[in-house]
Amino acid sequence: MTEKERKPRAKDVQRGIWNQEAIAEVKYKADMGKHRIRGCGSTKKYPTFDDLLILPSQLSRLSIDTYREDCKTQTVLGARYAKKPLVVETPILISGMSYGALSKEAKTALAKSTQTVGTSINNGEGGLLPGESENSYKQVVQITPSRMGFSLRNIEAADALELVTGIGAKPGLAGHLMGNKITKEIAEFRQLPEGIDLHSHPRHGDIFGADDMVLKVEELRDVTDYEIPIFVKIAAGRVREDVKIAVKTGVDGIVIDGAEAGTGAAPVVASTHLGIPILPGLVQGARALEEMGVKEEVSLIVSGGIKDGADVAKALALGADAVAIGTGAMVAMGCVVCLRCHEGKCAYGIGTQDSELRKRLDTDAAAQRVANYIQGMTYEAVILAKAAGKTALANMEREDLRSLTLEACAMTGTPLAGTNFAFTEPFGFF
Amino acid sequence: MVRLDINEMSTRDVNQKLRELILQDDEIVVENPHSVHNFATALKGKGTITVEGSTGFYTGGFLQGPTAIIKGNTGWYTGDNMGDGELIVGMNTGSNCAPSMGGGTILVKGHSGSRAGWGMKGGNLIICGNAGLWSGKMTMGGRIIILGTVGRGIGESMYRGIIHVLDPEVEDKLGGNVMVVPIEDKEKREVETLFKKYGIEQAVDGFRSIVPKVYGRHEYFLFKPTHQQTGAQS
Ligand SMILES: Cc1cc2nc3c(=O)[nH]c(=O)nc-3n(C[C@H](O)[C@H](O)[C@H](O)COP(=O)(O)O)c2cc1C
Repeated sequence: MTEKERKPRAKDVQRGIWNQEAIAEVKYKADMGKHRIRGCGSTKKYPTFDDLLILPSQLSRLSIDTYREDCKTQTVLGARYAKKPLVVETPILISGMSYGALSKEAKTALAKSTQTVGTSINNGEGGLLPGESENSYKQVVQITPSRMGFSLRNIEAADALELVTGIGAKPGLAGHLMGNKITKEIAEFRQLPEGIDLHSHPRHGDIFGADDMVLKVEELRDVTDYEIPIFVKIAAGRVREDVKIAVKTGVDGIVIDGAEAGTGAAPVVASTHLGIPILPGLVQGARALEEMGVKEEVSLIVSGGIKDGADVAKALALGADAVAIGTGAMVAMGCVVCLRCHEGKCAYGIGTQDSELRKRLDTDAAAQRVANYIQGMTYEAVILAKAAGKTALANMEREDLRSLTLEACAMTGTPLAGTNFAFTEPFGFF
Repeated sequence: MVRLDINEMSTRDVNQKLRELILQDDEIVVENPHSVHNFATALKGKGTITVEGSTGFYTGGFLQGPTAIIKGNTGWYTGDNMGDGELIVGMNTGSNCAPSMGGGTILVKGHSGSRAGWGMKGGNLIICGNAGLWSGKMTMGGRIIILGTVGRGIGESMYRGIIHVLDPEVEDKLGGNVMVVPIEDKEKREVETLFKKYGIEQAVDGFRSIVPKVYGRHEYFLFKPTHQQTGAQS
């Protein structure tokens, strides 16, 4: 070995702090004098549902025949006060992704997919696209702080309302839609000047505090005549406190969005450093509802990095009533999670407003793929639930789980596999 | 004309009753409002509701056609998400008047608190008295007219819309991303028409307008070294 060969080159050395990403980030700031905006949310490694395992039925309980016996998947959400709760055929909902972040074709495809599998779509910030509400099986309508494209008409088209307090990819911040996506069409739809970078406001102009929110929810009840459910969407942070307040405001359901959640655009620093992942967020949310004695009453919906049916079964076991997917549904349509959603140049016609690029998305084919994906995920969840001896997905329970890692054990209170021991249990989960 | 005493009624009953009555009669007089919250939510149709007193938070939220005259004061979030119709407040409103208002007219004969017209998207908000901080923050449309003095941060990050003001010191109180321009003749005529309609005796010549500075980008300062006030990022 020559002297030269023996000397490791800088690029071959495993870096700790000064890895390539850190160096690139320093350079970006040095060039631009500001933080970086990026699509897709955090790239951090989080504890995931894969760190949990489901205990199969053997002698202690009987399993349900995978292919010949039923396992109920129909899910009723928001029955606390609403006369017409949201009834979906699978506990996998499509989360709120705005027309603006996504193309009209992508929104329409997502809506059509909900018809096939019998679930709900959520319009996201910035108005309700006619192509969405006309094609959706169940329509959730968001009430975001900006209220862009929002009116009584949207409420009338809704099967459920979702009052957005925060999202996991940028909690404490609000919608970012970069100018390259604010085309003439989007500008008209959102009442914005064309090409402007939109930074929405994180606080609702008509809700300055929890007490006011009680009145707001009452007002929305009046507007909807107590017909449809009202959910509140929060980012996972101080989950116990936030859930308790949400319950007191009188909503029918709570959506908790974890730190791993996707987005169309967010400051990288916000995606990476704000909020906690969905695993502990869900556990805290479920326990807070139990503590208040309203677990059966108030629906709990979780989102953030949900990718397959195993995640769904485990989320339900930990106490969720349903999950919502964003990125996964985009991937089913062709998205490769390139992290450049904010640039608006999506080569697959999904995260773009460019008229040429949009042509690349075949709406019907994409709708079928999303429906297939949700169906496949539901199959997976059902397989696991039946193996765990359940005739309904909703019957998954905490007791069916074991942790594979100390981290998951500590964060969720799920005993480590092979033990009956969750070592953080004595500390509580708040 | 029909009289409705709401002294002992729940908000829900009040609104339901108003919904029924407005179909039958075009003039409703409400007595004993006792600052009830969520008054006249999402009321549709035509007709006039006159309130002999004050109402609370979210007065006339989602209002969709009728005229509501509140002789006293109203609380915070007056006319939130209002779509159409008129809301006339005889005295003052709390803060955050007309948030996300989409259409119709709100007339405040007295003063209004801070953040009037927050995220407003259409319609007219006329404040005859003074307005607090951050009026017209992040509006996306509509017109705000303030006859009295304005607070700091007026028009902060407006995306669209216009604010007409008389306050001679408005330049010192401007929010970011907006500028003061002379009022145009067409706008003057529109303001005059509104003033005439609502019996506001005020010449329109002294008004100036605040409009968004739209260069495709808003400028924000997330860090402002006090010794060197430049370096905005866009
Ligand atoms: C392209 C895109 C646009 C989004 N737009 C919104 C939005 O308008 N409002 C909102 O509350 N959340 C929005 N989100 C967040 C999603 O509702 C959801 O919380 C998130 O996608 C869940 O995480 P997942 O992507 O890992 O499934 C968006 C997400 C994506 C990927």
